[in-house]
Amino acid sequence: MNSEAVPRPIIEARAIGKRFGAFHALRDVSATFHEGQVTAIVGPSGSGKSTFLRTLNRLEAHDSGEIVIDGIVLSDDIKNLNAIRREVGMVFQSFNLFSHLTILRNLTLAPMRVRRMARAAAEEKAMNLLERVGLKTQASKYPVQLSGGQQQRVAIARALAMDPKVLLFDEPTSALDPEMVNEVLAVMRELAYSGITMLVVTHEMGFAREVADRVIFFDEGVILEDTTPESFFSNPGHERAKAFLSQVRHGF
Amino acid sequence: MNWTRQHPGWAMFAAMIGLLLFLWGMALPLAAAPSPIGPAAEQFADGARITVGLTLIAGSAGVLIGVLAGLGKLSRFWPLRWLCDSYVWLIRGTPLLLQILFVWLALPTIMPEGVELSDFACAAIALSLNVGAYNTECVRAGILAVPHGQVEAARALGLTPLQTFMDVILPQSMRVALPALANNLASLVKDSSLAYAISVVELTMVGYRVQAESYQPIPVFVTIAAIYLILTTAFTTLTAALEAQLDVGQKR
Repeated sequence: MNSEAVPRPIIEARAIGKRFGAFHALRDVSATFHEGQVTAIVGPSGSGKSTFLRTLNRLEAHDSGEIVIDGIVLSDDIKNLNAIRREVGMVFQSFNLFSHLTILRNLTLAPMRVRRMARAAAEEKAMNLLERVGLKTQASKYPVQLSGGQQQRVAIARALAMDPKVLLFDEPTSALDPEMVNEVLAVMRELAYSGITMLVVTHEMGFAREVADRVIFFDEGVILEDTTPESFFSNPGHERAKAFLSQVRHGF
Repeated sequence: MNWTRQHPGWAMFAAMIGLLLFLWGMALPLAAAPSPIGPAAEQFADGARITVGLTLIAGSAGVLIGVLAGLGKLSRFWPLRWLCDSYVWLIRGTPLLLQILFVWLALPTIMPEGVELSDFACAAIALSLNVGAYNTECVRAGILAVPHGQVEAARALGLTPLQTFMDVILPQSMRVALPALANNLASLVKDSSLAYAISVVELTMVGYRVQAESYQPIPVFVTIAAIYLILTTAFTTLTAALEAQLDVGQKR
């Protein structure tokens, strides 16, 4: 599913530290992500996995260390930041679709404003993406008229409309009713096989095992395991990982 | 009300046309009325035009001031926050009549030479500042009501802070703020009558003059009240239609 031959690093995180007051959310986290790689980031809640993901497009500012995205150092420099955010798409746990805009306008807003696309071209692209996630007929509806699963598929299409190099998923199925999880996972699976770089914070162990190239296990702000799904699920190296897996094992 | 909900665009249009027709044509049916109304029909029409002019100017400026000061109150820059807080505190804590008199009598003494304000302009300035202070709180509440996830989604898509505000925060906050802003506008229609104190010949002033000449206060003041009612009805229809227009995509 990815070209092992020349893996180009697209995200490099070096010794990232982050505190929320007295709480030490990330302690010197380092990881490199390569183009085309699908990484599942797992771990107990409060372990720092979502915080780590959110530092990668600076929804959280890291306190120490360095993050380089596609050759650009992530900082408060607004020009660099906007350049990075154009290339890094994000899908949120609670969808965060723009509630005052139709589904179509949700998809065309950023391409028109940020990429300066013409409306007709943006709409054509949006319709193609909606077809890809199976929601072409819903284009003129508003987010509130859609189910959670449909909204999350729209949110994925909205992120894709910017042609990002990397897609970050922050627990994309955690807010969904169980019967809607699969429709979202199906879209993500299709994306993973299309070769886009994905970082997925998830509790869906089945998805991680089946689709990911790599599993990162977070605990108390550090990366405890960084390995292949096979080795993580069959032979975890740390006690904490074993305990975590035994607790979530019903997931697959 | 149901009709305005279903056809907000038409209702808004009809209210505007109705208002204009009423203003231009009011003198015709009024002229047919018996004395003391008939002979003073033109005066009533002129007074109504001044009242509507004051309301439209101060209403628009007040919304603009409300948005700017509402943003200022939420600013991270404390001098700006302090300035906007003081403005609201000052205006809400003093009588409108005093504010009108201040602009009319005190402002010319501190204005540079050669700048002269008409009575109408003084009333418009005082009313704008007054309604702007009340609007500030409505706008601030509206902005605070926009879920943070909406901002994160916009920023993650690469929209600049200004684009995020104009395309996402402002339209969504207006949905919350509009009922309160409409309330302020309805008050403004009537508050504009205080301009009579600085010899602006608006509707109430016309009524006062006509009854003083005719010694018939009852028919004159009933007519004035009826005209105010028609004006406030037109304005509330307009804002109700606008509300319905902005209400799309909301849970009911």
